[in-house]
Amino acid sequence: MNLPTLIIGGGISGITAAVELAEAGGQVVLIEKENYLGGNVSRFNNYFPKLCPPACGLEINYQRIRSNPRISFYTGAEVKNIYGVDGDFRVKIHLKARLINNNCTSCGKCAEVCPEERPAKLGRTTGEKAAYINNGLAFPMKYCIDPDACAGEACGKCLEVCDYDAIQLDALSAEVVIQAGKVIVATGWILYDAAKIENYRYREEPDVVTNQEFERMLAACTREHKKLTRPSDGKVPARIAFIQCAGSRDMNHLPYCSAVCCSVSLKHALTLETEYPEIDSEIFYIDMRLSGRNEKLLKQAEGKERITLTKGKVGRILPPDGEKGVLLEVEDIISETKRQDAYDMVVLAMGLTPAPVAAELKVNEYGFYLPDQPSGMIPTASCKRPMDVSSSVKDATASALKAMRR
Amino acid sequence: MSESSSIQPNLAFKRELSRLSGSQLNQCMQCGNCSAVCSLAPAERPFPRKEMVWAGWGLKDKLIGNVDIWLCHQCGDCSSYCPRDVKPADVLSAIRQKTYQHYARPRLLGKLVSNPAWLPVAIAIPVVVIIAILSLAGTFKIPEGPVDYSAFFPHGLLNGTFSSITLFFYLLASLGIGRFWKDMKRQTPPGETGMKRLPVFSVLGEILSHSNFSGCGSRKPGKAAHMLLFFGFALLITVTLYAIWATVSHHYPLPITNPFKILGNMASLMIYTGLGIMIWQRLFNRRVFGKSGYSDWLLLVSIGLLTLSGTLVQLARLGEWSVAYHLYFFHLVAVWFVIMYLPFTKLGHIFYRTTALLYARTIGRK
Repeated sequence: MNLPTLIIGGGISGITAAVELAEAGGQVVLIEKENYLGGNVSRFNNYFPKLCPPACGLEINYQRIRSNPRISFYTGAEVKNIYGVDGDFRVKIHLKARLINNNCTSCGKCAEVCPEERPAKLGRTTGEKAAYINNGLAFPMKYCIDPDACAGEACGKCLEVCDYDAIQLDALSAEVVIQAGKVIVATGWILYDAAKIENYRYREEPDVVTNQEFERMLAACTREHKKLTRPSDGKVPARIAFIQCAGSRDMNHLPYCSAVCCSVSLKHALTLETEYPEIDSEIFYIDMRLSGRNEKLLKQAEGKERITLTKGKVGRILPPDGEKGVLLEVEDIISETKRQDAYDMVVLAMGLTPAPVAAELKVNEYGFYLPDQPSGMIPTASCKRPMDVSSSVKDATASALKAMRR
Repeated sequence: MSESSSIQPNLAFKRELSRLSGSQLNQCMQCGNCSAVCSLAPAERPFPRKEMVWAGWGLKDKLIGNVDIWLCHQCGDCSSYCPRDVKPADVLSAIRQKTYQHYARPRLLGKLVSNPAWLPVAIAIPVVVIIAILSLAGTFKIPEGPVDYSAFFPHGLLNGTFSSITLFFYLLASLGIGRFWKDMKRQTPPGETGMKRLPVFSVLGEILSHSNFSGCGSRKPGKAAHMLLFFGFALLITVTLYAIWATVSHHYPLPITNPFKILGNMASLMIYTGLGIMIWQRLFNRRVFGKSGYSDWLLLVSIGLLTLSGTLVQLARLGEWSVAYHLYFFHLVAVWFVIMYLPFTKLGHIFYRTTALLYARTIGRK
């Protein structure tokens, strides 16, 4: 019996593993808990090492998924539990109702009239309507409705405008059990909770954002051809500070290095340098940690007039003194001086943590999934350790190979 | 950055700092978070990051006679926010402790009060000396009749011997302070040594107002506790000086209703409260207060016993207790321990910190 391989997580790694496996002849079921494939990468502005936009990489893979009959995928699909043994797993999956069916042509009228907003969980700056579509690369290219934000039949405004009979506010969620020979875990990463670093005042200051939020702000600017403005008052910032190791390499938070954040901040600073000539960047670091090709980012940033690299971990962020903006306290270690400086915006280069999944997985001391699991499940990419997209893709390919071995 | 110089690591000193502070000095990654969160670090060459790398290399010459470790008032912010848990606050405290020992002359005095193994000797010295004085005076026996301490230890003899011994010890200490001043001067970068007038009054103001404690985030109760102890101690010294004068000029002991007597008892209450807070914090707030070592406890316990025995001695006189003279003897040993040993124990910060603050403000370091 040739059972399919189940891949948990439809981000760049899960997608890569899926197409590699399927193109090698395997049967694949790809499940993603959000309503769209593409994960974090789909909402990026650009990514390493060549600073490509997410379409470059994702689009070709979506095409490979669409054209390959050996891949089936579910979105809005969350693992409830996994039982069975290696070679014969049973995976119970909860399928969330999208509330919009396949008739959708993604005309966007529902979102236009929708009065409700999704709680701005991450994108404090990107308020989505209850009827929404992934504002990055949407796959599937269909709208959906967030049941937690939707006011239901009582409102019904979207029902009135939809010309295709696509909206089903009473659609029910379902549960399916999938039989799988192998399970690849590609849940990826989630950002460490910035509010836990109380001395950085993330909760209190609207102009202190995480690098993930900043990435999405940049992506929105690129998409909508608009200027970058800061959250508090919509002013174009003149000086942005990047704080490295926000949560990482810190015994009070994440004791490990999150590996990608230095590259991310350099990428952001370089993006600002080339595309936002009115904005100066200053990166505060302990050590610049770049691996492989990403070291090029540092070479590029050094010597740029509007990028300053300052050695020193920012101790705390103080409330603004009168004007909007934020004050940083830091020791500039090279010149041995303590500075208290005001910035229009602060980006926290946050640490990464493994995204959870309802499966029994052995973890290392930091909570990341160990490569070798007694259950035979195959964790891959950034749920094993923090890594960038290109490393994740390589690792996902290796996992596909692992899943093919019987 | 261009000129190179070789350093002389002192590993024994490093190990000693590590032992006293409980800090894994090698874990420090020199991120500068400590200097950044410190509310007392000056803008130029802030502390304690640079001290942490010196400590990691055991650079004793840079650490002893360093003025910055005395600007630190041990609020603990650097330790609570340290990403590597290397406890800079406790390391600076350990360096201060090594400072008392370094300048102690004869060296034995420094050892006596810093090493638990020497504690019996440290206690035996005052016991033997007091017995010797009393034996010479011929009063080393329990007197008959109502409790009268002067029958046991005549006032003139007590004040004469104790004052001169104290003066002798402080004279020894002042030699150390002198060397300390020179070392601080030697370590100040050229160009910053421009000596102005000693800012005695402003430093006095800083000390009295406890203004340096104000920025403390992590150890909030520290300021109140230290103030209680500081002013309690100062009051008791005043009362003692008055009492010495009273023994010469008019009748002693003072009646319980005498304003100075009342003041003295108020002072003991202040000390009990302050000590209570300090002991409580050290016992139950370890996360913030870090490791409490021998010198911390020795100081708290000796001040506690001194005050407690003082209160009991007074009660024993009023209540005619049969153990009055034993308590009195104990009290005298405690006085010796706290007052005579002062420059060599943690209490020596009264001298060293004041000197360092004077020096720092003289060169405009703030």
